[in-house]
Amino acid sequence: MSASKLDRLVKMMNQIALNMSANGTDKMVADQVAQHLEKFWSPPMKNLITEQAAGADIGLTPIAQLAVKNLLVMQEAKRA
Amino acid sequence: MLEFYEPQADYGTPESTSTELVTLSIDGVEVTVPAGTSVMRAAAESGVKVPRLCATDQLKSFGSCRVCLVEIEGRRGFPASCTTNVEAGMEVRTQSDEIAKLRRNVMELYISDHPLDCLTCPTNGDCELQDTAGELGLRSVRYGFEGENHLQAEKDESNPYFTFDASKCIVCSRCVRACEEVQGTFALTIDGRGFESKVSASQAEDFMDSECVSCGACVNACPTATLTEKSIIEAGKPEHAVTTTCAYCGVGCSFKAEMKGNQVVRMTPYKDGKANEGHACVKGRFAFGYATHKDRITVPMIRDSIDDPWKEVSWEEAVSYTAKRFKAIQAEYGRTSIGAISSSRCTNEEVYLVQKMVRAGFGNNNVDTCARVCHSPTGFGLKTTLGESAGTQTFASVADADVVVVMGANPTEAHPVFGSRLKRRLREGAKLIVIDPRKIELVSAPHIKADHHLPVRPGTNVVVLNALAHVIVSEGLEDRAYIEQRCDMPEFEQWLAFIKDERHSPENTEQFSGVPAADLRAAARLYATAGNGAIFYGLGVTEHSQGSTAVMGIANLAMLTGNIGRDGVGVNPLRGQNNVQGSCDMGSFPHELPGYRHISDGATRALFEGEWGVSLDSEPGLRIPNMFDAAIEGEFKGLYCQGEDIAQSDPNTQHVEAALRAIDCLVVQDIFLNETAKFAHVFLPGASFLEKDGTFTNAERRISRVRKAMPPLSGKADWEGTMALANALGCEMNYSHPSEIMDEIARLTPTFNGVSYAKLEQQGSIQWPCNDNTPEGTPIMHIDEFVRGKGFFAMTEYVPTEERANRKFPLLLTTGRILSQYNVGAQTRRTDNSSWHGEDLIEIHPHDAEERGINQGDWVGINSRVGDTVLRANITERVKPGVVYTTFHHPVSGANVITTDNSDWATNCPEYKVTAVQLSKVTAPSNWQSRQQSFDKQQQGLLQKAQLQEARN
Repeated sequence: MSASKLDRLVKMMNQIALNMSANGTDKMVADQVAQHLEKFWSPPMKNLITEQAAGADIGLTPIAQLAVKNLLVMQEAKRA
Repeated sequence: MLEFYEPQADYGTPESTSTELVTLSIDGVEVTVPAGTSVMRAAAESGVKVPRLCATDQLKSFGSCRVCLVEIEGRRGFPASCTTNVEAGMEVRTQSDEIAKLRRNVMELYISDHPLDCLTCPTNGDCELQDTAGELGLRSVRYGFEGENHLQAEKDESNPYFTFDASKCIVCSRCVRACEEVQGTFALTIDGRGFESKVSASQAEDFMDSECVSCGACVNACPTATLTEKSIIEAGKPEHAVTTTCAYCGVGCSFKAEMKGNQVVRMTPYKDGKANEGHACVKGRFAFGYATHKDRITVPMIRDSIDDPWKEVSWEEAVSYTAKRFKAIQAEYGRTSIGAISSSRCTNEEVYLVQKMVRAGFGNNNVDTCARVCHSPTGFGLKTTLGESAGTQTFASVADADVVVVMGANPTEAHPVFGSRLKRRLREGAKLIVIDPRKIELVSAPHIKADHHLPVRPGTNVVVLNALAHVIVSEGLEDRAYIEQRCDMPEFEQWLAFIKDERHSPENTEQFSGVPAADLRAAARLYATAGNGAIFYGLGVTEHSQGSTAVMGIANLAMLTGNIGRDGVGVNPLRGQNNVQGSCDMGSFPHELPGYRHISDGATRALFEGEWGVSLDSEPGLRIPNMFDAAIEGEFKGLYCQGEDIAQSDPNTQHVEAALRAIDCLVVQDIFLNETAKFAHVFLPGASFLEKDGTFTNAERRISRVRKAMPPLSGKADWEGTMALANALGCEMNYSHPSEIMDEIARLTPTFNGVSYAKLEQQGSIQWPCNDNTPEGTPIMHIDEFVRGKGFFAMTEYVPTEERANRKFPLLLTTGRILSQYNVGAQTRRTDNSSWHGEDLIEIHPHDAEERGINQGDWVGINSRVGDTVLRANITERVKPGVVYTTFHHPVSGANVITTDNSDWATNCPEYKVTAVQLSKVTAPSNWQSRQQSFDKQQQGLLQKAQLQEARN
């Protein structure tokens, strides 16, 4: 995995979070961002961002970080 | 069924839309017609043809030729039937000895100044003058041919598609009126008076040098051989015709492909086609020669490496080679290592099959379509706010608009037939607001002047849309009753609080958008208060990093002012290609099945699983840019690309090329060796729209038939090629005709449940949704409620693009199209349309040019953060200082070498419309252009080797 691929995903995710920023509280926005990713991103993209974001600063904004956590919960719920 | 050629029925004057009926008698027969109908038309509708020369039902009656005289009981003289409207109880006689004598006398005068070369005339047998002379029984001309006449008048052959032979002109003014009333260009006039009267293009110029846009309306209207297609002069009169749908822009014009055997000799706009109603543009009308161009590749080819010569093979070998390689790739790299890209140029049935093959055959959802790079934000934005990923109106609805907003679209260039319709309404008095960085033609055209032009700085559409909404709510101009009845109120109140914030006021936003506050306020007031408000938008809205936000902002504006759900209003995306709407409808996006149903929805998936007999992946697949990234990562190794030229059309060309080089098996199905095919390992020859059956869906959601006019040159239509590949991969498909594919689509898609080829034959076209609730289709959407129930006011926070102008890159480049060319130009560059646009130019304001010492026609280097290219300068005030503009119709231009891979936050639609650049005078092509030319030469050489080898065999 090259840095550029992760960089692109981080950029996309921050961009989504920023564009949804007026939609409500940080928690609501993070939830909407996670739902957006769940709806439109392919599994390898979702997996990459959740794996790389776990315990590391990959450049995600605070809301995007919260969204990754929500996404993880959604993925685990699906697996369960 | 074979349809022998005959001219389309002409009722002489336009149809009246009055609901009041009038009964009269014509030649003793009682006739009932709508009030406002001419006597000529009433006669025609009852089966009586009144002779005429200056009248046609495409134009308002004119009353100049005096051939259509009739007698009306109780009236003196002989009124012209074209300019006399019906009245209750009127008794009309169309034939009498006296009428016949009068008509013959008039005809005699016409013929006394007309060449008698009928047998060698190109329109022999297809000439209204000739027919009328026959009908009137003209046997001699008493005046002789010795006097002063126009028989030696010079012929103008300057236009590549038609000639103007003034010696045959009867000065009926039909061409002049067609140019005015139908096309709205006003390029023609009658110069001089009396005997000196003659048709003149602009100021007595050649047609080619005049303002003529070669739409062909004048040629269509001409009753003689004065204006005649060169293809007819060469080939003669057609012998049969096939009604089909144009394969250029999203207007979806209906045409009669007029044929001699398997040769198209003319494309005539079909008067019963509801999208175009008998009009056309220079592309659809004339630029069909590409279909039989010598560059067509009609034999499948394969090669192991892109440095190898191509080898021509049978369809069976090409398909089996592809299947073997795809299977091997999946075995080595996994199920998701291959995918497909379908095209908005192909039929609904074809794109449906591609996504079916991917989901059911490849076993993943890695399918995307070129709508990704144009209108994917429309799909997202309109689905979110209104509940359906489609425009809300018919094109004809614009006739009821009181104010029209055109935003980020250039209809007279990119959607010209709709542009003509719009101009007609504007000439009738509708108001116009143009929101565009450039002074597009509509800002100031003959008899049209925009009431407001908001010259938005590229990248700030959302700022302007928010400011418009701010003015409307802060001045109390919203339609509160409509909102309360039709929209979700909690979300509206939340949005209201957001939009009322002073930061959205025009006075605050002016610094970002460059739009003067007073102009913006006036435009907002006009849109909110003028009556029916219709918004038309294009890629200048969607192709931004905030494209989806802008679409939602447009929907918000329409809901805010109660402008959705009836004629004359609405939100209208002008789709770039012929079947953008259809390709999206057919499940071509990686996250949804046909009918915009998400792949994660178990019930929908079960429906398709039951029909297809497979289990479907419930997760979204890769979008086009994700495919490129994955290819470069070595994770995506096989791609089937049908009818799209991603190497030329997608942004950041060098990134795209790197991705294509990284793919192990690239399969391209196309009619030419396009830029993408130069990186391919398998070439499957495509079929033009003339070579297949199917349907296209235009920007109005109108499904129209595409009918085969000639056999596919390669032996297979595109759907047959896909089916062969699917079967080789073990994904069984056994369709014998595209109608069976449409039947399957209808079975599985609620909005298409009522669609069938039989109904299309019966109705001509159908606007979806078409089902038990709306068996004849749905011209206007969201009439009583929105598809999602209550309309949703989406928050539209403005997030600036990361692409900023600075000292190093001080100018903003935006891109667009020109009338004569179409997208990547693969079709139009192979026609005489290149006479108007042989190369892409960079438009630059005189001030910016002077600062850089750039003169008209100079070679200019354009540098962006990702690449550079070289184009010739066109210095013009059409762009404002700080903004430059180019088109992208020629591969060597490398317009996408400089565009970045920034994209819309929601859909990844590329931000083609904003690239920071610097310009400088140069003397040589860019490095990329040199490499491109060398690569092109190499690939053409490898193609020729294959063709030479085949010739030897």
